[in-house]
Amino acid sequence: MENGTHLGSAWQDSPEVPSLIKHISSNDVAGFDDMTSLTKDQCQTSESESHSPSNDGDETEPIYHRQRVHSVSISMPQSPVAVHLQNTRRVLFSSDTIFEDGIPDASVVSGAACGEPPKHHSQPIRTAAAYNEAIGGGQFSYHQSIRRLKDKRYDSFKTWSGRLERQITLLRGKSPPESKTEDEKVPNREVEKNLPVHRYFDALEGPELDTLKASEEMVLPDDKTWPFLLRYPISSFGICLGVSSQSIMWKALATSAPAKFLHISLRVNLVLWCISIALIATVASIYLLKMVIYFEAVRREYYHPIRINFFFAPWISLLFLALGLPPSVANNLPPALWYVLMTPIFCLELKIYGQWMSGGQRRLSKVANPSNHLSVVGNFVGALLGASMGLKEGPIFFFSVGLAHYMVLFVTLYQRLPTNETLPKELHPVFFLFVAAPSVASMAWAKIQGTFDYGSRIAYFIALFLYFSLAVRLNFFRGFKFSLAWWAYTFPMTGAAIATIRYSNEVRNVITQAMSVILSAAATLTVTGLLITTILHAFVLRDLFPNDMAIAVSDQKPIPQKKWFHLRHGSSDSKDIEQYLKFAGSDGKDLEASLKHQNY
Amino acid sequence: MDDQNQSQPQIEITIDAPNDTEQPHREPLIIIRRSSSLILTKFHGGHFRISLSLCSQALLWKTLGDPIDDAHAFQRVLSMLPSNAFLFLWSLAFFTLISQSLLYILRCFFRFEMVKNEFFHHVGVNYLFAPWISWLLLLQSSRLIAPTTIYYQVFWCASVLPIVVLDVKIYGQWFTKGPWLLSTMANPASQLSVIGNFVGARAAAQMGWRECALFLFSLGMTHYLVLFVTLYQRLSGSSSLPVMLRPVFFLFIATPSIASLAWESIAGNFDVSSKMLFFLALFLFMSLVCRPALFKRSMRKFNVAWWAYPFPLTVLALAATKYVQEVRGAKAHALMLLLSAVSVLASLALIIITALTSNNIFSQNSQEHSA
Repeated sequence: MENGTHLGSAWQDSPEVPSLIKHISSNDVAGFDDMTSLTKDQCQTSESESHSPSNDGDETEPIYHRQRVHSVSISMPQSPVAVHLQNTRRVLFSSDTIFEDGIPDASVVSGAACGEPPKHHSQPIRTAAAYNEAIGGGQFSYHQSIRRLKDKRYDSFKTWSGRLERQITLLRGKSPPESKTEDEKVPNREVEKNLPVHRYFDALEGPELDTLKASEEMVLPDDKTWPFLLRYPISSFGICLGVSSQSIMWKALATSAPAKFLHISLRVNLVLWCISIALIATVASIYLLKMVIYFEAVRREYYHPIRINFFFAPWISLLFLALGLPPSVANNLPPALWYVLMTPIFCLELKIYGQWMSGGQRRLSKVANPSNHLSVVGNFVGALLGASMGLKEGPIFFFSVGLAHYMVLFVTLYQRLPTNETLPKELHPVFFLFVAAPSVASMAWAKIQGTFDYGSRIAYFIALFLYFSLAVRLNFFRGFKFSLAWWAYTFPMTGAAIATIRYSNEVRNVITQAMSVILSAAATLTVTGLLITTILHAFVLRDLFPNDMAIAVSDQKPIPQKKWFHLRHGSSDSKDIEQYLKFAGSDGKDLEASLKHQNY
Repeated sequence: MDDQNQSQPQIEITIDAPNDTEQPHREPLIIIRRSSSLILTKFHGGHFRISLSLCSQALLWKTLGDPIDDAHAFQRVLSMLPSNAFLFLWSLAFFTLISQSLLYILRCFFRFEMVKNEFFHHVGVNYLFAPWISWLLLLQSSRLIAPTTIYYQVFWCASVLPIVVLDVKIYGQWFTKGPWLLSTMANPASQLSVIGNFVGARAAAQMGWRECALFLFSLGMTHYLVLFVTLYQRLSGSSSLPVMLRPVFFLFIATPSIASLAWESIAGNFDVSSKMLFFLALFLFMSLVCRPALFKRSMRKFNVAWWAYPFPLTVLALAATKYVQEVRGAKAHALMLLLSAVSVLASLALIIITALTSNNIFSQNSQEHSA
């Protein structure tokens, strides 16, 4: 079970409540000492620490367990010590009130929120749960504004509406009529905590960590299609990566000497370049909109161990745009542009590499996955662009940083450490990202040195080897759900093609020319196929943007529900509670032990 | 609830409190009344950080004060630095190093058990390199002994031999010894062994012994690669280094800087490889500086581990001076001045703080922290 620090149930002294429950205290629910001092603020702070993961549309009795689940499970303090510091701590079992008063109490409960006499201490989980059930279920229609509230399920992820509501509720103070807004607010605070990285590992599966495990729950409803913005992942920037790298490739094909026999005109490059600009503008503006309206969702993507790497994608696409600049548009770019483009990459990588180095939750041995190549490739692309602009020191700086961290990443990924939870067990298109870094590094080094010298060749051959070892395993790339992130995996193929063209510039013979043609054709075919698939999914199957489960991960592991059936009817049923506690996880033992000391 | 919040972490802190000394528990500390014995007991390899920092600072001042042809305006200003200041610093470094070496020799005689325990500790063993590195740095920074004289060569051999012997022992242990796993024992202080190789390589190159220099350099570079990857992977999480020793993270900066200096001596000029190493060091410096939370807990109370800060900053500044000689430009000069200022300030600050709290270094409550 997750550590009990999050959740508080504050229990108020009440005759119906067994002293057992009374003594179980929550760990860190601030301000829950005193009922009279309970204000909405306190409820809210406690809510912020407490958590209601469930928002499932499961309407029937599981609701009870669910409420019970959340309140009880989370209320288990981590250590027996907590139990003893109980004079100012109280345990609140929401379920208690519910059990006693039956179903109809749900509304009272939700309405009661904070500050009502004994039973109705603001139980954040309970209220949230009730609220959520109320919304999802539709059974609890005694809640007047339920219809209006339907749309507010996503408020927990909204930026402005959430804050505004909170301010309003704060200003108004506590009162039952406010319960609606407070209920809305409750999920807000709950989801605004930082999700620890292991939650992502526990709750999600799949090579891109985007499928929710069966046993997990979401904070957003899974029966409805979410608002479009909520479904719009950062990996959509992969399309920009794919298309802009294509424009570079066609430019290289048109301008380099060995490929002149193909007679490719620069117009292809121009068209692709314009398309890339349009794409980047569109994707960026949509994502910007998402950031403004649903900042919480963006935050959750940022903390996702795989999606964080896609935050480099917009900047790399911009770098690609600059690299693929058609000669007809402009010949030289101002160096200041390079500094502007590299600054976000620099800041992002300071954060990410620092996380790798300083250990802790997000250390490399735990989170290494092929998508991390995206964070390393940015350095090489920047070095390439800077060197082609004529800068000297800056490109070397980024090249060395990229090289050092690429080495670390490469070794870690090859090791497939047992502590590594994110590596896909089977082959997946994400593995093509392995080819990206060495091919771009070889081009960057060639530009820095001026010629395609030994260092570049070594890097290029490594890229080629990795490409071939993946290509011969093409058979195993099967059975994967299409996702927009696949676009990001095409740019390594394109990068390898461009590197081959540069190499054939240096070493000109039939083989290298043939290879450049073959690799370019392969890249183009892949992109075309991907384009068709995307269009298919977008317009025919209409599932290009499925519900993005990766961001809806709940804070805590749900407790297995079947244990709960007994607990519905017995606040006095301490045996069942103990029984539950036994199953509640490692903390249960402690609690049990402490409970035994209790006088009840 | 807040108390509860805090009480829980408090409990954790007491358990984790890095008051555990470097000595494994089988060696109880016998507290003897005589202060000299107390000093011998409390002195440990980690104290060599002080001499390391001071010697490198002396080297920096010497490099800054050296006259250069075609000097930029900034450099001309620096060369006007009073040579007295340099002499004073050099003497201070010399005196510190001599006294610490003597203390350690005495400790070997009278507290051999403790020295042995240090040797077997995964953090303490690396500080056995520190005295030799300090001697080499001091040698390089002396204006009296030129690199071509016999004294220099003899001194070099005397300093490098123990480094090589320790290398053979430690690096051999990395890949042969069963229960001693690099993946669990590696910690940022392990970079001291690599630094030792690089410093020896640089000194050798300055003497003209290119093959020796290349030998030491390749030795250092290979193990640096392995260590760098291992440290970045953090297989064991943050548990290999106690919280109080977080300043040792700054050693990440020192290794590539020293490597770039060594390569510069071998190659003859600050070429692309040296630049790349220097930039890597610069990036790591910026990365660490942007993470103050990492060091917060260790900064609450002064302890000898704080001396881990000046040395890496100084070698970074040294590498910057060499960089500036290659790449002349206002920005490079500004960078060099900034780094030098930071290192000088850090050293000064630490000297002052140490002087003010000089009781603490050898007091009963001082934490023994080569561990």
